[in-house]
Amino acid sequence: MKKTLKNVALAAAIGLSAAASATADDKPSDKLVDKAGDADAKPQNQTPRLPYGWLPLVEPATPEVAQKDWVRTPIDAFILAKLEDKGLKPSPDVDRSAFIRRATLDAWGLIPTPEEVEAFVSDTGPDAYEKLVDRLLASPHYGERQARQWLDLARYADSAGFQTDQTRPDMWRYRDYVINAFNENKPYSRFIQEQLAGDELAPGNQEILVATGFLAGYPDNYNSRDLVQRKYQITTDITDTVGQAILGTTVGCARCHNHKTDKFSQKDYYSLQAFFANTSEVDGIPAAKGDVESEYDRQWAKWDEATKDIRFQQAVLIAPVKDKALKYHKERYLTDSRASIFKPQSEWTAFDRWINHRLDNVTTERDFAGYLQDAGDHKENPEYTPEAAERWQEYKKLSEELKKFDKLKPAKGSNTYTTMSELGHPDSPPTYILSGGNHEKPLDEVQPAFPVVLTDEKPVIEPTATSSGRRTALANWLVSPKNPLTARVYVNRIWNNYFAKGIVSTVSDFGKAGDKPTHPELLDYLASEFIKSEFDIKKLHRQILLSSVYRQSSAFRDDAHAADPDNKLLAVFPRKRMEAEEIRDSLLVAAGKLNDKVGGPSVFPPVPANLDAGALWPVSKDTQDHYRRSIYVFTRRSIPYPLLQPFDMASSQQVHSKRDVTTTPLQALTLLNNDFVFSLSQALAGRVIREAGNDQLAQLNRLYQILFARNPDETEKTILLAFLITHEKTIFEKANDGKFSVAIPIGLKGTQTFNPIEAAVFVDLVHAVVNSNDFTYRF
Amino acid sequence: MSIQSRREWLFNAFYGLGGLTLAAKMPGGGVFATPALADALVDPLAPKPPHFTPKVKSVIWLHMDGAPSTLDLYDYKPELIKLAGQEVPPSFLQGLKTSTQGGVGKLFVSNRTWKQYGESGAWFSDLLPNLAQHADKIAFIKSSTTIGATHDISILKLNTGDTSPGRPSLGAWITYALGSANPDLPAYVVLYSGKKEPQGGSVNWSSGFLPAIYQGTAFRPGNSPILNLAHPELISTAEQRDDLDLLKRLNDHSASFHPEDTELQARLRSYELAYRMESTAPEAVDLSKEADATKKLYGLDEDITRDYGTNLLRARRLVERQVRFIQVVSGPIGEGDVQNWDAHRELEKNHGPHAAAVDKPIAGLLADLKQRGLLDTTLVVWTSEFGRTSYGQSGNGRDHNPWGYTQWLAGGGVKAGTAFGETDEIGLQSVGKKVDTYDLHATVLQLLGLDHLKTIYLRAGRAERPTVVYGEVVKDLLA
Repeated sequence: MKKTLKNVALAAAIGLSAAASATADDKPSDKLVDKAGDADAKPQNQTPRLPYGWLPLVEPATPEVAQKDWVRTPIDAFILAKLEDKGLKPSPDVDRSAFIRRATLDAWGLIPTPEEVEAFVSDTGPDAYEKLVDRLLASPHYGERQARQWLDLARYADSAGFQTDQTRPDMWRYRDYVINAFNENKPYSRFIQEQLAGDELAPGNQEILVATGFLAGYPDNYNSRDLVQRKYQITTDITDTVGQAILGTTVGCARCHNHKTDKFSQKDYYSLQAFFANTSEVDGIPAAKGDVESEYDRQWAKWDEATKDIRFQQAVLIAPVKDKALKYHKERYLTDSRASIFKPQSEWTAFDRWINHRLDNVTTERDFAGYLQDAGDHKENPEYTPEAAERWQEYKKLSEELKKFDKLKPAKGSNTYTTMSELGHPDSPPTYILSGGNHEKPLDEVQPAFPVVLTDEKPVIEPTATSSGRRTALANWLVSPKNPLTARVYVNRIWNNYFAKGIVSTVSDFGKAGDKPTHPELLDYLASEFIKSEFDIKKLHRQILLSSVYRQSSAFRDDAHAADPDNKLLAVFPRKRMEAEEIRDSLLVAAGKLNDKVGGPSVFPPVPANLDAGALWPVSKDTQDHYRRSIYVFTRRSIPYPLLQPFDMASSQQVHSKRDVTTTPLQALTLLNNDFVFSLSQALAGRVIREAGNDQLAQLNRLYQILFARNPDETEKTILLAFLITHEKTIFEKANDGKFSVAIPIGLKGTQTFNPIEAAVFVDLVHAVVNSNDFTYRF
Repeated sequence: MSIQSRREWLFNAFYGLGGLTLAAKMPGGGVFATPALADALVDPLAPKPPHFTPKVKSVIWLHMDGAPSTLDLYDYKPELIKLAGQEVPPSFLQGLKTSTQGGVGKLFVSNRTWKQYGESGAWFSDLLPNLAQHADKIAFIKSSTTIGATHDISILKLNTGDTSPGRPSLGAWITYALGSANPDLPAYVVLYSGKKEPQGGSVNWSSGFLPAIYQGTAFRPGNSPILNLAHPELISTAEQRDDLDLLKRLNDHSASFHPEDTELQARLRSYELAYRMESTAPEAVDLSKEADATKKLYGLDEDITRDYGTNLLRARRLVERQVRFIQVVSGPIGEGDVQNWDAHRELEKNHGPHAAAVDKPIAGLLADLKQRGLLDTTLVVWTSEFGRTSYGQSGNGRDHNPWGYTQWLAGGGVKAGTAFGETDEIGLQSVGKKVDTYDLHATVLQLLGLDHLKTIYLRAGRAERPTVVYGEVVKDLLA
């Protein structure tokens, strides 16, 4: 077999060639210098002093091309010009049914219904494509799909992570904010400003305050005994997230040492951190009352009422030792945290204020009980008294009693929200350059500033009565038309989602070590247009979706493959493995099971029994919740949803820039054996019989229309009909085992009679077709 | 066409010529049907050459969850015994950030007896009588250090080299760098005791920013170790075989339109691997064919050792099946305070059973590996997120100690019967040359034939390596 270049590209895409090709640091003693960072930065002859993406944005002229009739949008001219340079022709338009499957998957993350396909295929009007695209962009499914991609960057989760991985009950509100923002077509500039500084822009406005969940989404460990370190780690997470997700830079590398390739200094890095120095998380703010909140309150009231006496008795037991317990709890923090904790409030600095707020935010009733346990449970403990022991025993008994009422607590949702805030104070704690990134080794103090290699602009910081104004200043610079990166980085991410590869393929690194753009003029055109349109996201999607380059066939072409084996020039439309969520959600659509409710608290669909996740994964009692779109599935940082996880779903620990595509036997096991998936195949089989009747060919056609937006070709028909015959024997033999247990279609009409053996054969056929490449890929 | 005649036609079309020629007759299907071609496909788990000749093929990473007091297991300190009950002399506390109110507790000794074992004369306490018999197989690291005051962040650092989540675990790096030696099993397996995954679990065997294919696969207790391994209840094996044959025909057909597309071919192959795994994975953990004597060696005949012994016997079977990295997390014994080694109070009541639970199984593992000639090609690492303090807590427990504790290595390429580094006279802080988690990782990689500085993954323009920007191979531990 020819070892195609595609192999190499695939390997490179997941970094495989790196181990062999990279040369690296061989001086292990040089502990703080990341020489390895140089590995990819080979000097190149025409490299300008600044990386391409950092140069000021200048709108390029649309190139002249020969095949003018191919140009539907300016995008096409940029693509075609390069193809013509290479002597390549673009591919012909793909047929309409394949186009609508492609576009619906890309815009919604779902397969289209046969009715939608039929309507589009038979639409003879001149604006059929425009109508389709406008319909796609107007659906709430568009916002759900776009939001998922943003949540990857926002390292979104519904839990805190780390060992105990507590639920963060308010984070779904941020997820809904993101979905709504895309559906309302909020300008990208405003979207960024609200997420970075919503509290400064619109104090008291819940809808906007919730947007700062972007900052608040960091993994957190509430039981950390080192609050000083925690502050540093949180600020680091936020700074690195903004740097990568919005700016497309690896500025985070400059935390421990000056950047090796991009000339970011440690001073640049800590100057960026300084924008967030005074930022604190505030949880538990009462939310405006809607259905979710009322239902939550109603359920909570039940628990409250049922446990009132128990909790009163507990409070009585704690009351006399409460001060002691709090002191005991506070004393267990590390030395430098204690310095802030035990300082009188009148002497607090901005730094002490942050530490003490954090302490408040993570201290719970259980911490008081912790003291009682320590003082009451063990005679050897210096705090032990017989009186405390008695108190603890009683308290423990009550706690066990209280636990019995847990099932009365609301199963999902919340009546509060979370925001970032500066706690009503405009003064910020100082920020220092840290030697080697070690927060115990501060060097010079720095002020908020933009990286000097990117701009000579200075931040205009206008403190308000209640906030430093620093984040607003940062957000304003990020979305300023003069910022060379923000627009380029975002339009490139959108391009990456449509064409499986960005114009800059390292989507979160526009620096020198990142890849060079394949079509720099096109990227600058898109970015300029984006800015000119006042960051109109739907307009950007519309132009891409209506372009000729997007409309091309993905059929293999020898000439294109020979001339451009990596398909960088896009002479052929690149096929793409569907993302984890697209696979599951499309299965739900196919099975006719999708519950398309938009927004609301996260849900827990069933998981394999031997996952043993216990209380961390309480399967939703309402089975309708099992059929919600994947974006609404609870993101538990320590337990990635097992149906999606094998298909390279995003890790929620850090910015997730790009979905990998790996192909593993665990994926095959999931789609073949998972009970939930199999039940969807059964439901799909039932739907096909329901809709197509008993004629075998009609059934096969319907199945293919639902899954692939087409009829099976002659070869496929032959293969499938052969299976129906041969497999009947297998099923018959199995059914003869005396138990007669076969899997039959779900959801047949009461009046429909069927032969159970034939029905079981059909279920297996459907399940195999669901597993086929044609389902999991979009072409 | 009647049903009957259609069937005849189909049979003639496909089966009249015999099943073997089937694929070749399918349009386009024949191109990809032969196994030789399948092997040439791009497989991110294909075995890759190490940087130099490796000493070992597999690693068994024994994580003692909750942090045992190595002061009560290996680090014999006569001075501590002498000073027991007194305040810690301030000189020993210099530079430490402690988390105990109003000064630390008084120096504490548990009720131990100590003896030297083997030709090396290594010290063991009475808590590890069985392991002590293998003193001469072990290279101790007595000056281990790390950072962090809570378990989760230090466990994260032990496994991934960072105190925040997001980096790949050591096992993931190894799988990435070496690929799989046995395609029928995951190359990186996690075994845990008890019914549930360790809290906060999967981030400790995550692939971080590496592709998900390199993450650890947690083996579940019982005979179906992988999620979704068993087919749906109503589907028989014969039925599934038919389904897979149909799937192959459909995929061959559609792949024929994309002859350049190796990814589509790889997906086809993944289903055959999955089908094989359905039988190889349960077989790998099935102990029914193990001799009674072997089971006894691992303590499967006693309640206290059965759970952990089962995991270690499984680990040996996985080593035999060329699994690269086996991460074994010690687990709960009974309820409440004996969940793990975290003995803030009542050290005796905690460490007694926890030591008993692992002592015989680990001794059994070392003996069994040796006897089967596997110890020379296997590395056993005994490790924990940190140690425990020389001063007491709650009267009879010990607090967390990231400043000085003991870990050990045994197996191929290891300088057996030695100890590297030491702690101060009371066993609180390491003195002299310290071994951080990065150094331990570098040393493990070295034994697998990998230079930690050349094990590189390019991510967002940055060349990442397993040891972040740190790490030094501890040459003194190597034979």
